[in-house]
Amino acid sequence: MHLRDPFLAFRPFGVDGDLVRRVLGEATRDGCDDADVFFEHSTSTSVGLSDGAVNRAHTSVDLGCGVRVVVGDQVGYAYTEDLSAEALVRCAATARRIARSASPVALATAWQVAPVRDVHPTQRRWGDVDLDVRIPMVRRWEQDAFARDPRVRRAQCSLGDDEQQILVARADGTVAADFRPMTWGTLSVTVEDGPRRETGTYNVAGRADLAYYDEARHRRIVEQAVDRGIRALDAGSPPAGEMPVVLGAGGSGVLLHEAIGHGLEADFNRRNLSIYSTKLGQRIAGPDITVIDSALVPHVRGSLNIDDEGSPTEETVLVRDGVLEGYLHDRISARHYGTRSTGSGRRESFRSPVLPRMRCTWLAPGPVPPEDIVRSVKRGLYAEVLGGGQVRIGAGDFSFFVRQGWLIEDGRLTRPVKDANLTGNGPEVLRTIELVGNDLVVDEGGWTCGKEGQGVPVSQGLPTVLVGRLSVGGGRT
Amino acid sequence: MNGALAELTDLARALRQRAQALGADEVSVSVSTATHASLRRRDGRTEQSTGATTRGLSVSVLVGDRFTSNSTSDLRPEALEAFLRRCVDAARWLEPDPARRLPEPEVVGRGVSEAHLDSDDPSWATREPVDREAAAEALEQAVAARAGLDRVSIVAAVADGRSASFRTSTNGFEDGSAGTFFSVSGQLVLAEGDKRPTAGADWSARHLTDLPPVERIADEVVERTTWSVGSRPLPSGRYPLLLENRVSARILSMMAAPLSGAALHERRSCLLDRRGTLVASPLLDVVDDPTIPRGSGSRPWDGEGRTARPMPVLRDGVLENWYLSTYHARKLGLPATTGSRSNWVLRPGTRPFAAIAASLPRAVSITSFLGGSANSTTGDFSFGVRGVLLEHGVVTAHLSEMNVTGNLLVMLREVAEIGNDPFTHGAVRTPAMFWPEVQLTGT
Repeated sequence: MHLRDPFLAFRPFGVDGDLVRRVLGEATRDGCDDADVFFEHSTSTSVGLSDGAVNRAHTSVDLGCGVRVVVGDQVGYAYTEDLSAEALVRCAATARRIARSASPVALATAWQVAPVRDVHPTQRRWGDVDLDVRIPMVRRWEQDAFARDPRVRRAQCSLGDDEQQILVARADGTVAADFRPMTWGTLSVTVEDGPRRETGTYNVAGRADLAYYDEARHRRIVEQAVDRGIRALDAGSPPAGEMPVVLGAGGSGVLLHEAIGHGLEADFNRRNLSIYSTKLGQRIAGPDITVIDSALVPHVRGSLNIDDEGSPTEETVLVRDGVLEGYLHDRISARHYGTRSTGSGRRESFRSPVLPRMRCTWLAPGPVPPEDIVRSVKRGLYAEVLGGGQVRIGAGDFSFFVRQGWLIEDGRLTRPVKDANLTGNGPEVLRTIELVGNDLVVDEGGWTCGKEGQGVPVSQGLPTVLVGRLSVGGGRT
Repeated sequence: MNGALAELTDLARALRQRAQALGADEVSVSVSTATHASLRRRDGRTEQSTGATTRGLSVSVLVGDRFTSNSTSDLRPEALEAFLRRCVDAARWLEPDPARRLPEPEVVGRGVSEAHLDSDDPSWATREPVDREAAAEALEQAVAARAGLDRVSIVAAVADGRSASFRTSTNGFEDGSAGTFFSVSGQLVLAEGDKRPTAGADWSARHLTDLPPVERIADEVVERTTWSVGSRPLPSGRYPLLLENRVSARILSMMAAPLSGAALHERRSCLLDRRGTLVASPLLDVVDDPTIPRGSGSRPWDGEGRTARPMPVLRDGVLENWYLSTYHARKLGLPATTGSRSNWVLRPGTRPFAAIAASLPRAVSITSFLGGSANSTTGDFSFGVRGVLLEHGVVTAHLSEMNVTGNLLVMLREVAEIGNDPFTHGAVRTPAMFWPEVQLTGT
């Protein structure tokens, strides 16, 4: 649902164009370079199953408005859940404290509604899907999990959705509105075999409606959760120390997210804080490395029609054939670099100021069959199920967690391993990606990226790759 | 602020009654409002200033044995009526779960007075934007005075706020509380070739006057950033590990997940079936104490309204209590304790970090963590770390790109010394802790 009529766009928030203009007038009273108001209404519902019963439900509603005033690269921000005229005007007055004798602003007199391309069209609102449709879905995951292996002792499932309506109005009269659906499903099992006990979890998330849960996805949720738990029963700690690491296709994209993605967010670079700040236009990786951050992958969790400044989104090439081509920009950094926003200005909610963020980050596939990559390794680690990661933007050291993987010996996967943190240095690791597979997979998991205390939904993908050397946090040297 | 909470208090009572009229058998409504502001300076000027007065409402509903929990910030009357109907209607779809109950009336209520907790600093009310600007500027200048010319950037940030909440439940619980917070942080970025070594320090307190002086924070910022320059990994191996008080909190905090009722009920806890047994070194004595004046985890009651009182967690290494809410206690057939952690207080040892460090020919000290995870089912953990190598208490190398790997139960058992210098600015009030041999991975 994408509105072309400003009157309709304002209506869900109980405000009208005149009030929004008044709030922007208040925000820009002392002058500024940019100002916007961001309205958000979101509704989230989830149901949970444990002990064989669908026995909990949660509903949350969030409504509010954030007002931002920008002077150069200085930001004043305020928000309110009270959308009365008095509260909104007070909010604008708080936000404009940053503006001291800045350039005067001429407020636009008419609203222009920005066109929005829908990269995740849906047929049916989650708000129209009754609990009696959702409950059998989680019940099925549970029953299929117990049927899959007798060692499954406990199953927990949850199925949730979040529908967000947003509106951005700018001092120049631009209005952009978007409807953002999201669904997620999680199955977690506890498996036991004698004294050994383990947990297996699988989760999926996407900007989609009920049709997301096709037969194949239902089956994958169950198979992955149970099989991960069972495999963990036999898995040990990998050896400790530096070794070659083969990253399996899919969730291993967390490597890119940490090793380079954050370092290319332009707010760090315009302040000269990133290890990549001085490397624009330089070769930073081998010629077979092309890194893309895109908002346009249909229905994945990180897809985005417009960003939270109302800018159109795109597919942004960050590294092309090994050369650093560009950063991820919001409006502030775009102005700083004299370029346009890449549609990467995002915020967790109306409570948070905008930051340049990733959306769906992946590495373009290369020529090598994945089995050849494993075969090329004498002794190393194969990373299969990934957890989260973290990076230090300035020094470039990063880490990510391997929940499950395999030891590679003489080109073969020999024994399962689990729970090892891997560390390396971003630019060094990029230079040591030795082989790139032909099997790119964008992971379907529910990844959330954290930055300055704000979490935003993201996706990531990777073909199978060989990294020459990472430090593996294993059990014994 | 008090006016805002008074309005919300009336609203909470009205909603409790309305939910009952709509068919709920038991209802708990809580409301909160908060006002906060922050200011961040970078290199001589304000980079970001924020401010908000915020409010929220949450409603838990039992219809028979069917339970829903709900929250909203949309307090428009027509929206609230629709929201409440949804909360109650959703319950009808669910399957009954007899473990869902509000706590019994005799276990809820205030444990300690507001005056004793002293969580609400009256000086907050007079804080103005210029005070934040002055505080941030003072810290920035203190860092600048200590940092070398190779600096790329200095950041100083301050934030403060006051929140107030009120809860009313059909089990008779009804009360409110309020508290303030103040925080200050500094960060220094240096240049080292293409690298921008960055580190900082942050502090928070309930009362403004409990924050350390800017000079001390600036010293810490500069020292920590210096440790980030010229850093490298050590060869992989087993090393003596000595952690400063606020860093050891991270290791001990891993205990929270396997102690939780949810993990025990789902059988994903490495402390399952271990209550009453020796799970840690007899040196480890941990009390959950919600009654510490000005404590960051202090509270008059827990999230269900249960009266706050100290509870032993580990006594001389023996596991005394799990964290059991009403629901998980009933699921497990055990008496409820409390569902969530407040402050953890450890029995102190005899000497501080510096004295322990001086006594060790060689030890690694972690300065910060970088990613990683812990498996609550097995206790296995692996974290990325930065740190320093100490020889007789002197820093002889700066470390990065390393991992620390081990098992929570082994760490609890093998802790060999506990300092006498607890960290009092967080809820986990650990002193320094020392282990003779821990696996570190580097080259």
